[in-house]
Formats: sequence, C-alpha cells, structure tokens
Amino acid sequence: MKNDTNSDSSKPKKRRRDEEIEAESSSSDQENLTFSDTLVALRIMRAQFPHIDKVSIRPFILQSQLYSSVNDRTQVDRELESLRRERVLRVFKLNTGQDDHAIMFLDDYLNQIECVVKRMEEKKQVNLEVFEWFQTHVLDSKLEPSVGHEELCSLLSIVGKVKDEHISLLINAGILTRQLIDPDMYWFAIPNIGSVLKGLSQGRKEIISFLNRRKYKEMMLALLEKKHLRFSPLDMRFHLRDLIGSGHLKTIHTPTGLVVQISKD
Amino acid sequence: MWKEIGGREAGQIRPNSFANRVKSHRLSTLQLSNYKEIVSPHKGSINSLQVDLTEERYLLSGASDSSVAVYDVQRATDYEGGGHIAKHRSVFVVDKQHEHGHKYAISSAIWYPVDTGLFVTGSYDHYVKVWDTNCTRVVMNFKMPGKVYRTAMSPLAASHMLIAAGTEDVQVRLCDIASGAISQTLSGHRDGIMTVEWSTSSEWILVTGGCDGAIRFWDIRRAGCFRVLDQSQSQLGRRPPLLKRKVSISKSLSAGQNSSVKPRAPQKKSANGNGVRQSSVGRIPAKGSVRQRLHPGMLSSQDRATAHYGAVTGLKVTENGMYLLSAGSDSRIRLWDVESGRNTLVNFETVRLQTSKPIQLATTQDPAVVFVPCMTAVKAFDIWSGKTCLTFRGHYEYVNCCCFSSQDQELYTGGNDRQILVWCPSRHISDGVDAGPMQDQDNWSD
Repeated sequence: MKNDTNSDSSKPKKRRRDEEIEAESSSSDQENLTFSDTLVALRIMRAQFPHIDKVSIRPFILQSQLYSSVNDRTQVDRELESLRRERVLRVFKLNTGQDDHAIMFLDDYLNQIECVVKRMEEKKQVNLEVFEWFQTHVLDSKLEPSVGHEELCSLLSIVGKVKDEHISLLINAGILTRQLIDPDMYWFAIPNIGSVLKGLSQGRKEIISFLNRRKYKEMMLALLEKKHLRFSPLDMRFHLRDLIGSGHLKTIHTPTGLVVQISKD
Repeated sequence: MWKEIGGREAGQIRPNSFANRVKSHRLSTLQLSNYKEIVSPHKGSINSLQVDLTEERYLLSGASDSSVAVYDVQRATDYEGGGHIAKHRSVFVVDKQHEHGHKYAISSAIWYPVDTGLFVTGSYDHYVKVWDTNCTRVVMNFKMPGKVYRTAMSPLAASHMLIAAGTEDVQVRLCDIASGAISQTLSGHRDGIMTVEWSTSSEWILVTGGCDGAIRFWDIRRAGCFRVLDQSQSQLGRRPPLLKRKVSISKSLSAGQNSSVKPRAPQKKSANGNGVRQSSVGRIPAKGSVRQRLHPGMLSSQDRATAHYGAVTGLKVTENGMYLLSAGSDSRIRLWDVESGRNTLVNFETVRLQTSKPIQLATTQDPAVVFVPCMTAVKAFDIWSGKTCLTFRGHYEYVNCCCFSSQDQELYTGGNDRQILVWCPSRHISDGVDAGPMQDQDNWSD
C-alpha cells in the first residue's frame, strides 16, 4: 500500500523507503553510514515538524506516524528498541489516549530541558542543581518511559542529598508526571508540551468528525491536505500520519489518486 | 493438490510437511461456512467456547443467561436446504431452571481435560461448579469471594486435578476436585484476575493476567510467583541471541526488585495470605531490613512490572509451550518468549480490542496463526510478523471468544449477538449437485 510515484518529500504519507531517500539523507549526514528505515523516517519527520508560534518546543514524532511511514510494524518496534538502547532517542508515554507514545531525539530533549531550566533561573528558583543530577544520572541509566520513586531517589542521591523539594521541582518543570494508577511511579514527560497535546487531541477529533459528516466518510487526500485545522497548531500532514498509523483512517488507491476513509472496525 | 499427493506417494515430500501444507492451505481458505451451522439455544451473549481436547468432537459454550450447551460438531442433528446444510443443535442445554444451575452470567465453561465426562463452569454468581455431563448434575460446588472471570484446568496434569479460578479478588484460587476444597491461594496480583492459563509444557506452571496489567508465572509447588513479565524488557527476535544474554538491559541496580530471580523457597504446599499484608508495609522507601521480613516467595508481590498499560484481557500459551500471547485493554497484543520472559516486540496490527470482558484467543497447532476477536470481527494474524492474514466479519455485535479445532481446521466464534458461527475451509459445491449458474453461464442464460 505505498504510493511511490513522487519523489518530493512533502507529498503523500505512505511511501516506499528505498534508496532515493537514503541518498537524500546520507548527503546531509556523513558520519552515520548505516541506515535503518526507521531512523530515516524519524529524521525526515523531525525535519517536517510544524513550526508553532507561541510555544517553544523541539520536534517530536508520534509512534503511530512511524507505523504509517514504514511498511513493517514489527521492524519499527525492534529498531526503535535498539535505537533506544543506544541512547539515540527517548520514548515517552503520552496521556492523550490509549498507547500514544512520543519519540524525541536525545539532544532535542536535552535542549528542551535547558530551555526550562533557563526560564526557572530567570524566576530565581532555588535547588536547580537537581536538573544537572537528573540529566547525568537518571536519563543515562533509566531508558524506560517510567521510573519508580525509590529508584529515582537512589539515582539522584548518588551526587547529593535529595529532598522532596527537588522532586517537586522536577514535577513542576514538567519533566516527571505522576502515574494515575500507581502513586509511586512516575512517567518521564516532555516539558511545555501541554498545549500541543491538547491541540493534538482536538485536531484528531476535528478530522474524524469532518470525515464522519461527509456522505461516504471519505475524501481525496490531495484535497484533505489543503484544509486548515481550526483547533490545532499542528499541521494537517502531522495529524493524517498519526491517524493513519493508529488505524482510525485508511487510504485506498483509486484511479484518481489516494482517498482517505474512516476505517470501520 | 494432486501434484503434492504424487510427491508424497513417491516419497519426495515428508508426511509431516505434506500434512502441514494441506492444513495451511485449508487455513488460508477459511470463510463463513455455507454447509455447516450451529443452532445456539442461548438467550444471552456467549462468553466461552471450548472444543473437547480428547476427540475435538463436542463444543461446550457458556452464555450470559446462565446457560451451558454442548454441541456435536462432527455429526449433524438434521439437514436443511435439500441436504446441503448441516444443522448442529445442542445435545443438551442447562439453564437457570436447573435446580443447581448458575444464577448469573457464566463467564467460563471448560471440559475436564481427561475426558468429556465432566465439565467445569465459573460464573458471576461467585460459584465454580463441576458438572457430570451424562446426568447433567452438579457434582461439586466451590464458593469464591467474587465474580469468577476464568477457570482453567491443566491439559497435562497427571498428578493433580486442580481448577485454577481467577476472580475479581486479588488472589488466584486452586480448587481441588479430588478433595472438594480450595487447596491453594496464590497472592501477588494487586487487582482482580481476568485470565488464567496453565502452561502447556509443565503441569505445575500457571500463568495469570490481572486487571493491574501484570502477567505472573506461578509454580504451584512453591510460594509466590517466580516471574512477572515486564513489557520494557524485550528481545529483538524469536529467541534471545546466544552470547549476549548478560549484556541486555535489565532492571536497574539497587532497588532489590528482581523479576527474573527465582526465589529459593523450600517446597511448601500452600501459600497463605499474610504476604499481602506485609507488602503494604514494604512500600515505605526502602531499607533492606523491612523487606527481609517477607517470605522469600512473596518478594514478587512488590514487583510492579506491567505487561500492558491496562488490564490483561486474554492469554494463550502456544501448544509447544515456548511462547505466550497476551491481549490487553490497551489494544495491544504481545508475544512473549516464555523461557527468557521477554517481549519479542512483534507488533500485531490491532486498532481496538474489547476492554470490559475477557476475550478468548486461539492459535493453530504449529503456532503460525493467532485468531483474535477484535470488536465485531475476528482477525487472524501471522504470529511472527504480526500482519493480518484474514479477517472474519460475520457477527453483528462484539465477538467474545473463538476456538480453533486443529483436526478439522475449523474456527468457532461466539459473540454478544448470541450466535455461534462456524468458519470452514471452502468446499467445492460441485460434488455432484447442481448449485445454480455454472461458470460459463450467467443470469440471462436459459
């Protein structure tokens, strides 16, 4: 189910990951010679991340977007796992619905934390050394998306005495969030991402309700791409990739092009 | 087909591979049967289906209107449509009117693994009943503290006759038919238990999945569970690489929560419930001395690892005993390697799965295909790549259970629409019977 007619990288979602894409990115990335398909897809989607005005946020990719761009889902999962183990990227669990995960390259994530720390310094917060400890000890050894309270404290206290105020500071900064089901476990989170996530769920609802209102619950992809979303700061292409990858929409090949349809389960 | 038979005759194809080829060819042509139908007498949604393990002849179904029925799937009771459609009516039905029948919905009905003389039912009225099939009488009654979600008996058991019952209570109970009492309770889960399955490689190993998202492995000869599956511990591939075992990421350092260390507990018969009390004490951030007061078998109750982000709604151990499939209310299906306890990261393309009821999965014998009820359809996935091979749409409402008979390559599915549908390999209609317009005719031919 791939449309491999155009080589323009800003066109349709599902494309065959072949040599031409690898050639594109290998020219920009000399040091890394081995490409997995997933890494190529991640880099391209990171470059295509929409620019949002009011919030300063580094690019992230949703896991469902990867599923729609690479053919084999098991391969995506396994490659993500190996990239995670090599500390190239981190996976975060989002609270916008079942099984939503966001993937961010590690340097982007560290940059994001830096911005947050800078803003806190301007407000003259104390105890800011906990962010240092967090970056050096916790991020390096804990590669999973969640961490337990005792483990967190033991990792942070390698350097210095950790108090409850330090943990509250981490939660206030948005780097950790409590799990709703378990009071002793925390999720790692991307700071300043709240408004974007709200836009994400609203945008999803808007697209699904728009297609549901149509007579046959479908629309040409070329026309749908041009629509502007009212409730989401993220662009249409981001949302379409996400919805196709999570299975809510499906694409059908027709003689006139790709058609996007609500999938009935 | 004839070429293959010729090859088998000449000795070019081995008997096993010939049988497997025929079976997989038949499997790929599965569709809603047009020559076989099961007439379901149930007036409520069908929650459990099982074909008996000895002859694969009798199908047992349990429904939400407290009725249990048995059907003979090999011999039809009558024929319709000029002799083409075989109708299988129930051999007998037990319902609420029965003096010792269940009062509320039956969530699980299973055959006694040795023969079809007994069957066991578990219901939302807190009872597990053992029935004699020939007289349809209740032989034994076990009272549970909560709604029973699943019951299971080991197909390999030679030295015990235990029924494992998973209820909304946090403890798994093992009921003994030989003595008539509840002989063991297994503690460790932190919420109700939706699924229980016995291992297909050892008669002592039980796998349970809970509403807290954890999957635990229990050896019933000793206290506590010896493994808790963690979805973040994964291996890339069907089996872990031979040399790199120690290097792969394991759970961290000092916290003392080991999921893969078998506690060296002496072989005690029963585990009592006081371990559950002590685990709430052990939750205080940690000194090792507090934890050491726990029985070594109960250390696993502090392991919070989850296999799914939600409740575990379905479990299936493959027949070779090497892999475990689990379905969760986070709409993910995961394939676990039983030996290493790791997630093999196979991605099954499911969009939504039912979350409120336990679902029953089915696999083929050499595990090649797994059948999963996904909302109103049943999907068949290739077990190693996770791709959808076949989709069976026929039910009008959610499908709860499916059962695959490997002898005949038939799939039986039951759902909330009170129907049991049969999916068979397609058969040529031209067995000497006129079936309507033939190939080179159309509707206007005379």
